[in-house]
Amino acid sequence: MPTWMVLAKGPVFLFVLTLALLGLLRLALLTTWDIAAAIRRAGFRQIPYRQVALQTISWLVPFGRLHRNRAGYSLASFGLHLSLLAVSFFLRNHLDILRANTGLTWMPFPKPALDALALAGILAATTMLFHRLYAAGSRRLSTPADYLLLLLILGLFVSGYLAGRAWNPIPYDGLMLFHTLGGMALVALVPFTKIAHCVLFPLIRLGTEAAWHLTPQGGSRVVQSLHGAQGRKL
Amino acid sequence: MTTPSDTTTNTSLQPYPFHIEPSAVPDFDRRAEKFLAAFAAILDHSNYRFLVELYARVTARCGRCAASCQVYQASSDPRDVPCYRTGLLLDVYRQHLSDSGRWFNRLVSEDSLGSDKIDEMAELFYRCTACRRCSLDCPLGIDHGLIARLGRYVLSEAGIAPKGLVVSVREQLEGPTGNTSAIPLPALLDNLEFLQDEISETKAALVKFPVDQAGAEYIFFPAVSDYLMEADTLMGNAAVLHAAGISWTIGSQYFDGINYGLFYNDWVLERIIQKLVGEAHRLQARKILVGECGHAARSARQFVPAFANGQGLPVVSILELTWQALREGKLRLKKDAVTERVTYHDPCNIARSGWIVDQPRRLLCSFVGDFVEMQPHGRENYCCGGGGGLVSLDETYDFRMRVSGKLKAEQIQASGAQIVATPCANCKKQLRELVAYYKLPVQVVGVHDLVLRAIEL
Repeated sequence: MPTWMVLAKGPVFLFVLTLALLGLLRLALLTTWDIAAAIRRAGFRQIPYRQVALQTISWLVPFGRLHRNRAGYSLASFGLHLSLLAVSFFLRNHLDILRANTGLTWMPFPKPALDALALAGILAATTMLFHRLYAAGSRRLSTPADYLLLLLILGLFVSGYLAGRAWNPIPYDGLMLFHTLGGMALVALVPFTKIAHCVLFPLIRLGTEAAWHLTPQGGSRVVQSLHGAQGRKL
Repeated sequence: MTTPSDTTTNTSLQPYPFHIEPSAVPDFDRRAEKFLAAFAAILDHSNYRFLVELYARVTARCGRCAASCQVYQASSDPRDVPCYRTGLLLDVYRQHLSDSGRWFNRLVSEDSLGSDKIDEMAELFYRCTACRRCSLDCPLGIDHGLIARLGRYVLSEAGIAPKGLVVSVREQLEGPTGNTSAIPLPALLDNLEFLQDEISETKAALVKFPVDQAGAEYIFFPAVSDYLMEADTLMGNAAVLHAAGISWTIGSQYFDGINYGLFYNDWVLERIIQKLVGEAHRLQARKILVGECGHAARSARQFVPAFANGQGLPVVSILELTWQALREGKLRLKKDAVTERVTYHDPCNIARSGWIVDQPRRLLCSFVGDFVEMQPHGRENYCCGGGGGLVSLDETYDFRMRVSGKLKAEQIQASGAQIVATPCANCKKQLRELVAYYKLPVQVVGVHDLVLRAIEL
């Protein structure tokens, strides 16, 4: 059995997957707990949950919004998310690995559709990479981690796509080793990078709303903590 | 649109685009240290820590907010992109106040916070007009306006706050007059008498400005500057309340709706809310009525419930009340009383949340023959350019005219309107300066200035 297969179907992948899932679970629970505590501390506790939920959902399915602002970048970003989710969770080979490790599986998507989505993912990741590199505002905002994550995802799409092609010029096992190690690195990074938004996304707008519900006497306590009981004059 | 040449220079000796009081930061060289202490104290005693942690974890720095920020659109300065500005505060948190950052600093490197970072934050947080338009366009839902405000809050607790805001608040909370415009009570009473006489002459009706009427349904808090500068707005407010038969009063002990705490400091915000509520309870009013002022209306509406110790009162905007009175048939407004082309500017603090968007438009359309909209408008409006307290800082005039207000001036010009109506004292001041700067043939008025022209008593 080639090394990449041993890695993918062995305990290393299971360890990485467990680490990622536990990490994400921890983040989701802690954030939910923090939001609940913030609402308990607030002077006014009524949260417009329905409005927050509708706003969150509208960004989960943002079809009416993408064209309105930086259409090219927004479409690329949406395309990247869509293709990444579809290819990661519905490719037959990925599901086989999942079944070998956990016994879980579900219906895969047809390969031609996933091939098209992989190409869309490559195009989207490349567009976003160029946008970060060449749009002045975005370049200033971008950190090395932003580039590395995009490059990693791009590399995974390209290697995965090439591996399924008869005309692939790169040695198959070497390519798959890169793909497997890269995939495991991405899974391991999920709870420790901005990709954590995959579980935190539903909580961000709720958290923002909770933070606007200020704590009574919070300002006075800050002043006392900085200046002692006598406080300060304005 | 051509930009007039400008000769204004920043005469401040300090490294910020606004003046600060030197006495507030006696040990100016230690400002980074004080900033960290203030940030830590605020995180310990408020509801912000989890949000900063959450934002620091997920922020993607995609830059989509750049396209919705009118400051960035006018300046093209990457530092004006909202998520760049937010990133500055989040970086301080990550590197100095988060658990991982503290461990990293202890084990690997002692990366101290430099004064240059503080100065950059002080500059950029006050280039933001706190309009929160960018929050509508962030896919993740990050509220850059909230972070800009938090940044200002931390800076202010480290002693760095615009003198223009601090001096007004000091007079309001600790000064002899108890209001931001330092209007003594006798002057206010004289003014109210003058307004009463003025309406009697123009409308041939006895419209009173009641003071200290215990048990009234509403206690009225306009932006106090209206008493000095917006006579028509106040007369319009009073005419509506008179025509609708509503019992109301002005409190003699506290009569200022302005709350600059919304712009920069929770401690100030809460103390002002408590003064507002205290006066309402003193006069046994049943509801708080806020005049034409965006930030005053929002701060009261949003924070009276939070800071009133369970004794909060309903908060109503004069715009809601006037629209309700019209719908109930209590007002007679002469159709086509205003023949000029009119447009409406949405104050961000009441429109961004969708609270007050349709009411003033329907009201205006009931007596304005030629009403046009600016594009975009409503929840997605552009800020006047003076939001977040900037309009109160004279030293930001050049910035407000050439950068933050530029798109608004272009919108007004494109609308072809002869009158811009807006229910906000700050927006009116900024828009008047803008139309003068760009030489636009436009008059800027309050909504109730036009209601006064149309109302039949």
